[in-house]
Amino acid sequence: MTTLRPFTCDDLFKFNNVNFDPLTETYGLSFYTQYLAKWPEYFQLAESPSEHIMGYIMGKVEGHLDNWHGHVTALTVSPDYRRLGLAALLMNFLEDISEKKRAYFVDLFVRKSNKVAINMYTNLGYIIYRTILEYYSGDQDEDAYDMRKALSRDVNKKSVIPYTQPVRLEDIDMN
Amino acid sequence: MAHQQGMDSALFERRLRPVYDNLEVGNNRKALQESEKLLRKHPNLLCARALKGLSLLRLGRYEESHSCLQVVAEEKPVDDSTLQVLSFCYREMEQLHKIVELYQHAVKQNPGNEELLAHLFVSHVRVEDYKAQQAVALQLYKAQPKNAYYFWSVISVVFQGIRGPESAIPEKRKLYLALAQRMVDKHIKEGKLETEQEAFLYLHILKLQNKYQEAWEFLTGELCAKLYPGAPVSMKFELLKELGNWKELNELLQQLLEADRDRWDYYKEYLTSCFELLKKTSSDEGTENYTLTTCHDFLLHIIQSSERKTRGPYLARLELHQRMRANQLPAQQLVGDFDQLIIEYFLLFGDKSCCTHDIALFLPSISMEQRQALAGRLLVESGISSTTLPQNKEHMQKHICALQISRMCGVHIELSVDHLLALYTALKLHYEHGYSSFGKQLLSTEMGPSDPYALLAANVMYDISMREQKSDQLFEALCLLQYVLRNSTSNFHVKLLSLKIYHMFGCMLGAQEMYDYLDIKQIQLDSMGYVHCNLLPLSGRFSGVRNCYDSTLKFFTNSYKERLEYIALTYRFCTFSKMEEFMNFKERLTNSLLYVACSVEAQLCDLVSCYGNVQQNLTSYVAMTIEPADDRIAWNELSDNRDLEAIIRWDPLHLVDAEAERKESYDQEIEVLQLRSLLLRLFASFIDLYHAPPSAKLALSNAKTITPAPAEDTATLELLRESWTGLHQRLRLMNYKPLSQRFLVNLQPTRLHLLLELPYERFFDDLAQLVLDLYTGASQLALQCKRVSENVACVMEICVQTITESNEWNGVDGLWKRRTHQQKVAACLEILSLYAFLLSVLNDKLQTSTKTKTKKKSSGDNKSQGTPHPISEKERSQMLQELMRQLKHKLEACDAALRIWKAPTLPRDLSSFMADMSLKPEVEATLIGDVSATFKESHELMVTELRNLLKDKIRIVGK
Repeated sequence: MTTLRPFTCDDLFKFNNVNFDPLTETYGLSFYTQYLAKWPEYFQLAESPSEHIMGYIMGKVEGHLDNWHGHVTALTVSPDYRRLGLAALLMNFLEDISEKKRAYFVDLFVRKSNKVAINMYTNLGYIIYRTILEYYSGDQDEDAYDMRKALSRDVNKKSVIPYTQPVRLEDIDMN
Repeated sequence: MAHQQGMDSALFERRLRPVYDNLEVGNNRKALQESEKLLRKHPNLLCARALKGLSLLRLGRYEESHSCLQVVAEEKPVDDSTLQVLSFCYREMEQLHKIVELYQHAVKQNPGNEELLAHLFVSHVRVEDYKAQQAVALQLYKAQPKNAYYFWSVISVVFQGIRGPESAIPEKRKLYLALAQRMVDKHIKEGKLETEQEAFLYLHILKLQNKYQEAWEFLTGELCAKLYPGAPVSMKFELLKELGNWKELNELLQQLLEADRDRWDYYKEYLTSCFELLKKTSSDEGTENYTLTTCHDFLLHIIQSSERKTRGPYLARLELHQRMRANQLPAQQLVGDFDQLIIEYFLLFGDKSCCTHDIALFLPSISMEQRQALAGRLLVESGISSTTLPQNKEHMQKHICALQISRMCGVHIELSVDHLLALYTALKLHYEHGYSSFGKQLLSTEMGPSDPYALLAANVMYDISMREQKSDQLFEALCLLQYVLRNSTSNFHVKLLSLKIYHMFGCMLGAQEMYDYLDIKQIQLDSMGYVHCNLLPLSGRFSGVRNCYDSTLKFFTNSYKERLEYIALTYRFCTFSKMEEFMNFKERLTNSLLYVACSVEAQLCDLVSCYGNVQQNLTSYVAMTIEPADDRIAWNELSDNRDLEAIIRWDPLHLVDAEAERKESYDQEIEVLQLRSLLLRLFASFIDLYHAPPSAKLALSNAKTITPAPAEDTATLELLRESWTGLHQRLRLMNYKPLSQRFLVNLQPTRLHLLLELPYERFFDDLAQLVLDLYTGASQLALQCKRVSENVACVMEICVQTITESNEWNGVDGLWKRRTHQQKVAACLEILSLYAFLLSVLNDKLQTSTKTKTKKKSSGDNKSQGTPHPISEKERSQMLQELMRQLKHKLEACDAALRIWKAPTLPRDLSSFMADMSLKPEVEATLIGDVSATFKESHELMVTELRNLLKDKIRIVGK
């Protein structure tokens, strides 16, 4: 049971019960403000009937020509509100807005080790499009999967023909 | 000249590069050298001069920087790089109006230059001058007819109507909004509306004028559908509500709910529309009859036709029940028995951890008796009794939910201590059983499924501790939490509660560990600072807590610097829907109470713990740029940014009023800040009287240095002293009550009562008189010296007595009063350390002036005409020496007490603590060993630090 609404600056003061989750990163302010200023409709929040923040999705739309696509930058759900289909709801929202913006596909990056998330995205219709080597830096660098789902504008599903060779971040044309 | 520069720009750019590079990496000295080198060859290269100004600014050489930048500004530069550097400097110095002037000049020389005009526009944005924004935006549009510029002018008109100085006048507001609408209307007519944000802005303007019908027509029209396909459906709700079109709203929501069956926002609006339709039916005769049966049937239809069970329609049914009861309508008759509905909900969704929050929503609407009876039934329904254990994770979660609800219904607080202890044991066993049965194969990022038992157990143990006024049970709870944390390393609830308990027990080291473990950063430093950073002042450490202030302040100063650039960003992307939100956010962030409080505490902390010789200490003091005469805190703008909901609680709903608790603590925190900032300013005025602020400080504010007339130089001090006693008087009259500590999650008490209890007021009031008498050589000086030394003795005694008391408490309960004792000792040492610093400065000043007979003496003579002869400087110096000698003595007495301050004895025999748990003995031993070691080490660190502090103060007054 959820209320979906745009994420606002004030929510930054209240999202701790979500952001204390170890897999959720708390970014610098300029990161959030940039997303809010540039793609306000791509930053949505799910609120419970008791007005707790249940989770949120942060994304953007970018790219040229047939690479015009929605991108999921962050998706997170508070531990108290898991197994309720919330991530799917937020993903649907982002796909829906990307449809409205006539994007060809939606993509996202996920840690290769994050089985739970990969499984969930697969269930939502995403395929592993390619592997990006050492995308996540840290104590131990980790590869990412670039996962994609074609939208209705991509009639021939050209955007989801997987790459077999892994790539490096610097070799990808992000646009 | 501009032209000439343009020709060589590539060359100059290459030459300037090293300066930029050095500035970038913070090598300011080298940057200065490079810029000077460049200026020798090209004295007219403005950008090099501007960079020199920036380097000087970064080096803290404000006066030189100022004149350097002034020279550049007077040249009225037009080239982009010079302008950029200058505006960067002005931004750094918060001289935002100068940026406006800068670009005004540049635009004058290059009328119609798009880039310069855009910079000018943003410079107006920074100072929130909407009228000027409007004018520049129109010039921009003339120069370059882009939609963005046109709408910059539209939004600037809107802001004049709703935020600018004239917005308070209704007629003006109306005029501006009408003008903004006409501007967009014209654009629409010309077919020039292009983006969704433009469409949003138009809707916004219409709504601001209450033109809901027009807004509705636009929103549902073709143009909006084309430009703004993602318009949130909530906009439709809002407009239909304003228009009173409940029927259409009702139908729209039914449609939406058919497709999206778990949306609480839809259900809420849907129910509202149903009740409005009902109201309408009963008031106008003519309309068709509406009854809530339709609503109920619809909800049942959703429930029955859903394949996957979602909470939505069930919660909506409960909400319908609740709203009907609130309107004295026969809820039970239509919807059914409330308890039965709750139980049904519990049976369906009790295995989800959010079930507790859901049920809690409806508890306040029923009586206490009904709540407790319901709680009992839920426990029965959970199928767990004293003889049965959960069969699986889901089963366990149901039990947890029932237990949480029963606490919320007030069942626990009515139990006797024995029963509570039994409950605790049961919870502990359930935790252990759940952990070993369902919690072993977790990812390190997951929380243990049985952790909530332990969290509840900690709350129960706190209840017992409060009733018995003893720490044993709470200490045991801490050990349990620490045990849970080993099994479930990512459970932040456990970390937050442990942090809380460590603070209650004054264990700084444990608290710091938990805080670090939480990895609080960025904006969390503001919203979560209340759990740690705000509790550090006077906790027992000084330099040891400086790191935490630093990281917090660093976040705030960075955000402060960038605060206006965020807003500029919304203009750049023409995000009209976010502009006001960003402006309000800026206010909230820059006026955070924690920001201001933390800055003041960090300064006090630095004054207390400065470790150099007198000259070094004075230099650090000057660098703080405290302006005693100037209260720089915007008291009415301060903002409470704490995220109090981050700490989970299940306390009895009828005893918890979170908003009242927030307000009470916030009010007290403001008063604490009043006391602390006034202490800081008063103390600074003592120093400034003898060590006049250097001209650099004045130069920054552009004032010519005038030596103050003798009567004026003590005016600030006298004024602040009056405020000081006045504030204390007011606070005593206000008679604030200490914050309630009934539940574990209640906010920690503020320092207000501590500050009023200890002799801060008298000490610094008398000290003020001493400083004045010493300055003028007044005849009562000797008397005042006596008074101050009595105060010193009194503070010393409090310190020594507190430590003795603390040692005595060790025989009874080593932790219960620990925090209070530490706070008292810290406060005493703060007072004495500040006093020591002051004496060292006074002594330094008097000694130099007795040696080199200054002119000051004669001015002092003039002043005291007609009064008895002032006491000679030599005598004053002797009296001062005597004060220092006495202080040294008292400091030594404090040190002696500190030396024998015992580490807290921990409650009971630790080895039996977890006997009930299926812990391996070695795990148990290391766990309790670790917790005990943390307490011991924390105490030792504190004592070592405090003794070092004293040692240093003894040194500076001992010379």
